[in-house]
Amino acid sequence: MAIRIGLCSLDHLHAMSYLACLAEVSDIELVGIWDDDKKLREATAQRLGTQACASLQDLLDRDLDGVIVCSANARHREHVEAVAPHTPHILCEKPIATSAADGQAMIDVCQAAGAKLQIAFPVRFAPAVAEAKRMLDANRLGRVYSAACTNQGFNPGRWFVDQEQSGGGAVIDHTVHVIDLLRWFWNTEVVEVYAEIGYSFFRPDLDIDDAGLLSFRLANGIYGTLDTSWSRPEGHHSWGNVILELVGSEGILSVDAFRPHLDVTAGTPRRSHWLPWGRSPDHGLIDDFADMIRTGREPSISGHDGLQALRVALAAYESAQTGQPVALDHG
Amino acid sequence: MHRVGIVGAGSISRIHAGAWARLPVELAGWHDVVPEAAVAAAERWGGRAFDSLEDLLAASDIVDVCTNVTAHPEPVLAAAHAGKAIVCEKPLARTVAQCEEILAVCTERQVPLFVAHVVRFFPEFEAARRTVQAGTIGKPGMIRTVRAGGFPRMGGGAAARRYADFEQSGGVIMDVGIHDIDFHRWCMGEVERVFARGLLEAGVPQCDHALLVLRFESGAIGHIEASWAHTPGRTRTHLEIAGDQGLVAWDSRDPASLSWRTRADDMPMAQNALQEADHPYFAELAHFLDCLDTGRELRVTPHDALMAVKVSQAALHSIRTGQPVAIADFRD
Repeated sequence: MAIRIGLCSLDHLHAMSYLACLAEVSDIELVGIWDDDKKLREATAQRLGTQACASLQDLLDRDLDGVIVCSANARHREHVEAVAPHTPHILCEKPIATSAADGQAMIDVCQAAGAKLQIAFPVRFAPAVAEAKRMLDANRLGRVYSAACTNQGFNPGRWFVDQEQSGGGAVIDHTVHVIDLLRWFWNTEVVEVYAEIGYSFFRPDLDIDDAGLLSFRLANGIYGTLDTSWSRPEGHHSWGNVILELVGSEGILSVDAFRPHLDVTAGTPRRSHWLPWGRSPDHGLIDDFADMIRTGREPSISGHDGLQALRVALAAYESAQTGQPVALDHG
Repeated sequence: MHRVGIVGAGSISRIHAGAWARLPVELAGWHDVVPEAAVAAAERWGGRAFDSLEDLLAASDIVDVCTNVTAHPEPVLAAAHAGKAIVCEKPLARTVAQCEEILAVCTERQVPLFVAHVVRFFPEFEAARRTVQAGTIGKPGMIRTVRAGGFPRMGGGAAARRYADFEQSGGVIMDVGIHDIDFHRWCMGEVERVFARGLLEAGVPQCDHALLVLRFESGAIGHIEASWAHTPGRTRTHLEIAGDQGLVAWDSRDPASLSWRTRADDMPMAQNALQEADHPYFAELAHFLDCLDTGRELRVTPHDALMAVKVSQAALHSIRTGQPVAIADFRD
């Protein structure tokens, strides 16, 4: 039986990638797309051979098995609250929300409605990251001391640079992916964060944080740093990266999640760029979401995971403001 | 469910068996001219050990031929006569005439024949070809590939002696260069002529190496380095295709997605981890099954397999004669 999926909003860049991945899963039927922008939803629906829905309710009335929420960060709560009573499975773009209260409310509403909420952290499905997890589980590094991490990228512009809609710039955008990986690697939590944040470093015309360095400590004793900066200039060979450098008592491990790639020089004007090959992390995420629906199991990446990652980003902003490390309480 | 019978229990069969184990098929069993090899493989991977090829054929819907190249025609022809779907390791056969006979019988018996030119299923090579097909680099003019490894020692047994006997194995061109010849054809179309130099007749023990220069019917040109003269370890590959609008390139020496060294052995290790569906030997057999069930066209047609052997043989002929060899007129 086909898995009936709907897409709520095309705000996030990842929506287009998810749509491409959905099309490659043989038992998924993309039932419809809703977006505020009538022109965009109709053009996208036509290109993909699916329905453009006039309202979110119109989409939700179509007996869906799952909805993917790809709206701007600040609207996740509103949309998940609308979806949960109608649809048993929700995949929500990261960060879960722009405040911890919103994130908690989303978890609560899904629990009350009996809907399963998964947060989109696709980097877990990057093959090098998955293999690193296996190596760590097999204790190949012994006692791990530190994790020096980067999730650098380009400035995505649009609503991402509007504080009201995004909840913040580079720090909220790029903290949550890597923090999720580290929490997952060691089944642990971040207990303290110190952050230096830069505003308008690379785009003086924008009033938003576009650089960030977090220094953190995990409950298991590992310390680390994370560079969240939108520091990749236009014309750079790649959109960005997720790189983890782990140092342990028995060895060292480097994970460069978006390798390997072809080198392509093309376009007008000509420029060189990296073209990743192989199935993308987004493919893995969509496969995983479909598998959850098929088998009825719990989400592999829960709303709680999304909330805990968000809390670290919020603590980073707080630290930058106070100039002090911020402790996170995990009750 | 399809029942798969594997002929030849050597090293490549184990890779195939690992892939079949993850696909919705039943492993019927094994046949090998060395009966103990079939018994050992059946113990490790499941299925029965069959003393005779006929018994294996009777128990199978798909016959997967993993013998050494000189022993391909006999089981392939028997499977075709028995009306079985066939997977055959590359090269299809040692000579063009043998390939032509196999194609004729498979056509007459209307059996699917899939020759496992696995490079078409390596995601980096597939992605490069897709880039060319998409028009990203414009009209391709040049292709250049390298496939360089050490001499196949295969534990020093009978298989090693067969590889070392170039009359039997065809040397590095028939075993390694044929991957690139097939990939070049896939990207650039039919080969018009080939000129090659190499160590085929140089009498260097435990070593072979060849450099091929190709002209395609499209007018494009190509270069292949195929080597059994490098140091042992992971095969190095390089690929670039240049067109009038751009360039696509890949080198296995680029930093990998995962690298590590442990204090115990201090050996630097690196690998590009893959999602399961991207593993090439799995992907090629999954593709074959999909084509079998849906009637879709095989990515590698029997004609492709024949042409890969023909261009390889022409390259060997070029080394012997010192002359360019036109493919259209070439006979063994």
